[in-house]
Amino acid sequence: MGKGLKLSDILVTIIIALIFGVIYKLWGPLYGVVATLGLHLEQLLYGMWFIAAVVAYLVIRKPGVALLAEVAAAQGEFIFGGEWGVATLIFGLGQGLAAELIFAAFRYKRYDMLIASLAGIAAAFASLGIDFYYGYIGDLALWNMLVLCGTRIAGAVLISGVFSHLLVQSLEKTGVTNLVRPAAKEDYQALG
Amino acid sequence: MPMDFSYKETWLHKINPSLKLLVMVLIFIHLLLIHNTNILINYMIGMLVLYLFFTGHPWRRLLVISIPFLFIFLTSSTSMIFFGKGEITWAEWGLVHITEESFFRGLHLGFRGIIFAVLGIVFALTTRPVFLFYSLMQQLKLKPKYAYSFMAAIRLIPLMIEEMQTLHYALKVRGVQGEKGVRGFYNKLKSYSIPLLSQSIRRAYRIAVAMEAKRFSIPGNRTYFYRLGFSKFDVIFLCYLLVIIPLAYITANHFPYFSITDVRFGR
Repeated sequence: MGKGLKLSDILVTIIIALIFGVIYKLWGPLYGVVATLGLHLEQLLYGMWFIAAVVAYLVIRKPGVALLAEVAAAQGEFIFGGEWGVATLIFGLGQGLAAELIFAAFRYKRYDMLIASLAGIAAAFASLGIDFYYGYIGDLALWNMLVLCGTRIAGAVLISGVFSHLLVQSLEKTGVTNLVRPAAKEDYQALG
Repeated sequence: MPMDFSYKETWLHKINPSLKLLVMVLIFIHLLLIHNTNILINYMIGMLVLYLFFTGHPWRRLLVISIPFLFIFLTSSTSMIFFGKGEITWAEWGLVHITEESFFRGLHLGFRGIIFAVLGIVFALTTRPVFLFYSLMQQLKLKPKYAYSFMAAIRLIPLMIEEMQTLHYALKVRGVQGEKGVRGFYNKLKSYSIPLLSQSIRRAYRIAVAMEAKRFSIPGNRTYFYRLGFSKFDVIFLCYLLVIIPLAYITANHFPYFSITDVRFGR
């Protein structure tokens, strides 16, 4: 490759990202309602905000896609008037970078549920890191902070790990992923 | 959708979009360094003035949009108020432990959330996405293939919403009954998201092939339909901030609302 992403990769990534951008925007009020229940139950939903990076990567399987998808989804949420405004962009950048790093660490060779979950966890850590400054979470009572971190990570594994993997598996059955993925080693072997 | 409702153009609309975006990111970083609630409240008033008087949208719409602000305030502040660290206890029920420090820290977070929300909405209400991407290409040298992909993708969203409506009718007319519980929710989610995603990916791919054929992906010198530059409105915007922000500091020092000047624990 060497030339980076092609226009078709970019457009497909961005369209996936924007679909999730709309979901991110709708997720905000839901998160708000659950948050009033207290005890960080809402953090279980937080994982939805990492999903664009993971799904885009699992579909397209190329370097740079996860970062682009998460930033684009955040940008989408931002221009649709998301409740968190500019903060969304910074969180999106951090989460996208974290997920991208995980995929890069496995040299973009693995596409299973484990790697999706790991990327979700990395994104969760990135968001917690930003929240340390943004939300003073270090100043919560210790047990409460641990609950927050625990539920957010659990949510990340459930939604951006397990759910996104199931989603992409179903997408594979529609055959649409063959359109956008680079040719795999098996494809070349099949050519003989 | 913000694309088809009417509004008056104000000076906020005429600011260079890249500049507006950069300034907002800088404000975000600046706000993270403010730990004094008094300054933050004045800051918030300065930003609310922009929202209330200069977006050019009618009052009623502004009111409806601001309902979530209250939510933001509650969700960002409550858990800190109830569970934050602190020494001067105000109330305690079971796990909930409200202290003076945690209360003010919670308020601080709430106000901070509102400022971000207000700035975000101001940006969304006064910036046309198309101009934003043209400006990013021209001023910040974003590669055209990214900018045009984004603009094309935004155009596809109304189509997707229409498709979702069709899908809804199709499921209804075939008498698909939703099951209850988590499994039902999952199945419902799948029956919408898979067709929507797969159709959108196919469509995006087709459009991308067409765009590549039209040489949209070529970097370097190119001409633009819209030319965006800087104007006196950019100066006005910067001057506004350069007056409001020092003013927030000065008034907070001379006429504080609360005696606490740093909401972090142990400071």
